[in-house]
Amino acid sequence: MKKIETTIENLKKDIAAFYKPELQHFMVMNAVDLGEKIEVQWFFSNYAHPCETICFYALVSPETEIPSIRDIVESAWVAEAELVDLMNIKVENTQKGFVLEPDFESGPLRKKK
Amino acid sequence: MGRQYEIPIGAQHISLLEPLHFKFTTENEKIVKTDANVYYVHRGIEQACCSKFKFRQVSFVVGRVCGLCSISHTTAYSQVAEKLLKIEIPLRAKYLRMLVIELDRIHSHLLCLSHVAENSGFEALFMKTMQYREFSMELLEAVCGNRIQYDFSIVGGVARDLKPQVAQSIMERLKKFVPQLDELMDIYKNNWTLSLKNKGAGAITKEDAMRLNVVGPFARAAGLAVDVRNETEDLLPWKEVGFEMVTETTGDVYARNIVRLRELYVSIRIIENIINGLPESALITETKAFPDGEATVRLEAPRGELFYYAKGNKTQVLERLKIKAPTFSNVAAMTEAFTGNEYGSAPAIIASYDPCLSCTAR
Repeated sequence: MKKIETTIENLKKDIAAFYKPELQHFMVMNAVDLGEKIEVQWFFSNYAHPCETICFYALVSPETEIPSIRDIVESAWVAEAELVDLMNIKVENTQKGFVLEPDFESGPLRKKK
Repeated sequence: MGRQYEIPIGAQHISLLEPLHFKFTTENEKIVKTDANVYYVHRGIEQACCSKFKFRQVSFVVGRVCGLCSISHTTAYSQVAEKLLKIEIPLRAKYLRMLVIELDRIHSHLLCLSHVAENSGFEALFMKTMQYREFSMELLEAVCGNRIQYDFSIVGGVARDLKPQVAQSIMERLKKFVPQLDELMDIYKNNWTLSLKNKGAGAITKEDAMRLNVVGPFARAAGLAVDVRNETEDLLPWKEVGFEMVTETTGDVYARNIVRLRELYVSIRIIENIINGLPESALITETKAFPDGEATVRLEAPRGELFYYAKGNKTQVLERLKIKAPTFSNVAAMTEAFTGNEYGSAPAIIASYDPCLSCTAR
């Protein structure tokens, strides 16, 4: 797995420069609760270079709103909606209630303090 | 412009095996818009794997993510754990994992095909396909001990060996299955009524498949040659046992049926090659290490690319486990592919997606 660090400010620019639908395959988003920060990850594979997994990641504070990449990767809305519910992070233009009921306790995958 | 109606299907509906909900906006019987809700069965499995269970127990937990492709989950998890433990499993264990994955693919593809037939109104074909599928369930039971949810792959290798008499039985049953598969291929390919229902229904183009990151038979039916078995030689030697990519071009329900049927021939060949060349070695690599670092694994489950991410922290319990099921990748395309189709075709189109919501919602 090749990890590429990015920032919230540069995320869309970095992914737009990298992602070509005919070359790269967007797999999923993930987040790891590190305590003070959350590591948000965007996973891609490459049609032309088998076995290569590319992970863009950004360290963010839990209150930060993550920009949506759905204008670059159309199918990313599913992964973004899942993270909003399961990790209780904010993603641009994404409402709660896709994975869990809207009144369910948010962020079951976050570490309990 | 005609009057628009909203018609829901699911979460419980006679044509759906899985708890998913589609809301179709229709105009003169044509679907113009689709909304989907696929999360009725979230069970918190990822959370349980990172809190309640030790990493060696997790392979048994993820085997319960899905009844149909549990071998894909247990194998993908075992592989990602082995990466974190930095161990190589014995060659015989790799071959046996591939054997069970392919037997599983046979029963899963036949199940999907039977439901497409049923939802297309061809119940006799549904019964015939299910009848022919039974041999694969019996073989899985003979190899693994269970008809479903077989805890065959474990961290470090496999839990059971293949007995010579079971290997012989697999070869004999596969030989009997080939003419049955020929018969199914003939019906799914040439039956006039079925082709009326399936040709052109729920079609996506190769460009759509790339744009929406579609995986599995859904993508291959549209001509997008994506199959993890073609890529991950480092973990399981698929090409060594005769893997071949199968693609079609029309991207409709018909093409998905044909891709699945053609893949069954490939699975048969792979299983025969595995049994004929099964290497002698131990079944498991022992280690006392704890998982450390991050790793990812991709594996071709019957419905497409299964992705596991794991992070270890040198303790018995994982820091994070992420599971991405094939249906999850296909949700975006599933909603788009209905547009322009007759509402009456929706059940067959849904069945042809082969959606698995147990996997998707976890």
